[in-house]
Amino acid sequence: MAAFKIKKKRLKELIDSLTKEYRVFIPVESDGVSSFKEVTSDSHLPTINSHNTDRPPKEIFFPQTETLFTYKEGKISPPEQPNTKYRTPNTDKIAIFGASPCDVKSFSLLDRLFGMERNVAKCSGYKDAYWINRRTNALIFTIGCNYPLSTCFCNWLNGGPFTKEGSDLLLTDIGEDFLVEPCSQNGEEFIKTKGLPIQKAAKVDIKRASTVRKEAESTLSEPVDITSLKEGLDTLWDNPVWNEIAYKCLSCAACSYLCPTCYCFDIQDERAGNARGKRIRVWDSCMFSLFTKEASGHNPRPSSKERMRQRIMHKFNYFVENLGDFGCVGCGRCIRSCPVNMDIREVINTIKNVKLTISNEK
Amino acid sequence: MENPYIPVPVKAKKITVESDDKTLRTYDLVFCNEEERFEFLPGQFCQLSILGKGEAPFGIASSPTEKEFLKFTVNRVGVVTTAIHWLEEGEPIGLRGPLGNSYPVEKFKGCNVVIIGGGFAFTTLRALTVYLLAKRQDFKDITVIYGARRPGLLLYQNELAQWEKRDDLKLHLTIDEAVSGWNKRVGFVPTVTKEVAPSPQNAWVVVCGPPIMIKYTLPVLSELEFPPERIYTSLERRMKCGVGKCGRCNIGPKYVCVDGPVFSYAELQKLPMEE
Ligand SMILES: Cc1cc2nc3c(=O)[nH]c(=O)nc-3n(C[C@H](O)[C@H](O)[C@H](O)COP(=O)(O)OP(=O)(O)OC[C@H]3O[C@@H](n4cnc5c(N)ncnc54)[C@H](O)[C@@H]3O)c2cc1C
Ligand code: SF4
Ligand code: SF4
Ligand code: FES
Repeated sequence: MAAFKIKKKRLKELIDSLTKEYRVFIPVESDGVSSFKEVTSDSHLPTINSHNTDRPPKEIFFPQTETLFTYKEGKISPPEQPNTKYRTPNTDKIAIFGASPCDVKSFSLLDRLFGMERNVAKCSGYKDAYWINRRTNALIFTIGCNYPLSTCFCNWLNGGPFTKEGSDLLLTDIGEDFLVEPCSQNGEEFIKTKGLPIQKAAKVDIKRASTVRKEAESTLSEPVDITSLKEGLDTLWDNPVWNEIAYKCLSCAACSYLCPTCYCFDIQDERAGNARGKRIRVWDSCMFSLFTKEASGHNPRPSSKERMRQRIMHKFNYFVENLGDFGCVGCGRCIRSCPVNMDIREVINTIKNVKLTISNEK
Repeated sequence: MENPYIPVPVKAKKITVESDDKTLRTYDLVFCNEEERFEFLPGQFCQLSILGKGEAPFGIASSPTEKEFLKFTVNRVGVVTTAIHWLEEGEPIGLRGPLGNSYPVEKFKGCNVVIIGGGFAFTTLRALTVYLLAKRQDFKDITVIYGARRPGLLLYQNELAQWEKRDDLKLHLTIDEAVSGWNKRVGFVPTVTKEVAPSPQNAWVVVCGPPIMIKYTLPVLSELEFPPERIYTSLERRMKCGVGKCGRCNIGPKYVCVDGPVFSYAELQKLPMEE
């Protein structure tokens, strides 16, 4: 596919042109935390960090709190456009500029769960109207990571700092310019838009990009082979290793709230007076003890051991079985956010080692 | 696009107090908009909602052959179930469904069917029994074993009385401890199952009840030589979405709301048991 480039100085023009057709979300830093915010008339340029943001962009498609419907005197009204909150007069289509490749891959993974047409492996037959409405026609500009963080391990999970899964356009920072590569039909078509400050890339730009990528990749640690992790976990349900892994976990759920692929939610009703109110869904986490507590007081996952096992099993075993890939993209946010320094890479290694010990004993 | 989170309006045509302690009520619901009526099979469930309170899953207690209403029996335990108990005839309530899989009634054709129930978990077993009776020629012997702590806690007593009179269904009712006026069996369901000793020949068995009852009935069925592939049960888990999205109800890789609630004992043996 042909490659293009855009001067960094002219990014604002590109983003402005996007806002004519899309609600545009860009990474911004505020109070030392980077997250995705919608571009408004007075907002600024994206903060280009060259690695992933502190908060993942999943909330653009899957907000932390979302109205499923409102009701009044018994009559139920689903929100016509679930994204009314940010709706601009022009458009409801969403563009994200500057997501990292791991986060963009997480969109593809959640597409499977929520039942997006182009990526259904298995979604139990039910389509999530809210996710799909926002995802449909969304345009994703990925910026590859020139400087992966020490917590990044996307390369363990068939990913890398410049992979394209889920992207419409992949941008590579090559100094004064970004190299721009369309990687989907939507991306190709976007490039054809008249008046964009985009030009054809020269050979030297492409060469420069490939050097940048090699350098970035070389800063990642050697990938651990996890191809048989799923099968390994099949045999470890009753293993005492879960105690060893989970004993220090505080069940605070920071790891799952900041995880781009965690999606568990609760459904609650909020009343505003007697006859009026709404039903909302809010992010929830399997790391909380109330998640599974039953009427009798009985809880199938009473301690952090069962809950940690659920989280790891879900990501590295059930997700593979049901949706065809690992439910982790190696973004490292759970490692950065955990108050007791739980490191999911160590967890994976511990599991692999137990498995090895068991098979050696046999 | 269909939005799986939106309930449709139904209303209670008839409400029956089901148990002598009034904790169980049965609701015969009808659709406010006839075109929203759906097909289903015994074993499936629905989410009932009271706006402002929330929603909760309940097994469908009527058979798809009963076209006039959808029946649910609700045990009052918490917020939503209490709000449902406040409901009066004619008042609206929301419904989402049918959800989940069903008892494999197609496989039962031409075979003997044994139905074992305990307590108020008899709901979907009523649906199944009524279904089998409505298509009586399709099935061979039908045996129902049903127990409750005391006579006043047996569900659907009028129907039980009618079933007792039939000669094409063997009904064994039991209560935990003898009381005056009760001239039927006394004893726990597992024990009675052993006494009745249904033959596993060309037979399928469906067993639903409190976990403790299931736990002691399964070994009895194995002793009687029912293979695990022919023993079915229905599971309960905390649920929210009911459509396999919210991540609440899994047992290992299986989501009870979409892969269940009906599982064979053989399937359950393969799952990690989260207790
Ligand atoms: C597939 C299925 C079929 C069911 N069929 C029936 C039925 O036919 N009749 C009937 O009466 N009940 C049935 N139930 C159980 C019923 O859904 C719960 O009793 C109900 O959700 C409680 O809601 P609540 O708002 O009244 O309780 P809440 O106020 O939400 O909770 C009260 C207590 O119950 C716990 N709880 C909530 N949901 C469940 C649950 N599913 N299992 C165990 N504990 C729970 C809560 O943690 C809390 O401790 C079924 C459940 C499932 C999953
Ligand atoms: S589990 Fe951790 S590393 Fe994996 S995607 Fe989630 S937050 Fe990122
Ligand atoms: S962030 Fe750390 S302490 Fe908190 S729930 Fe996750 S693993 Fe446990
Ligand atoms: S109830 Fe939401 S996944 Fe089963």
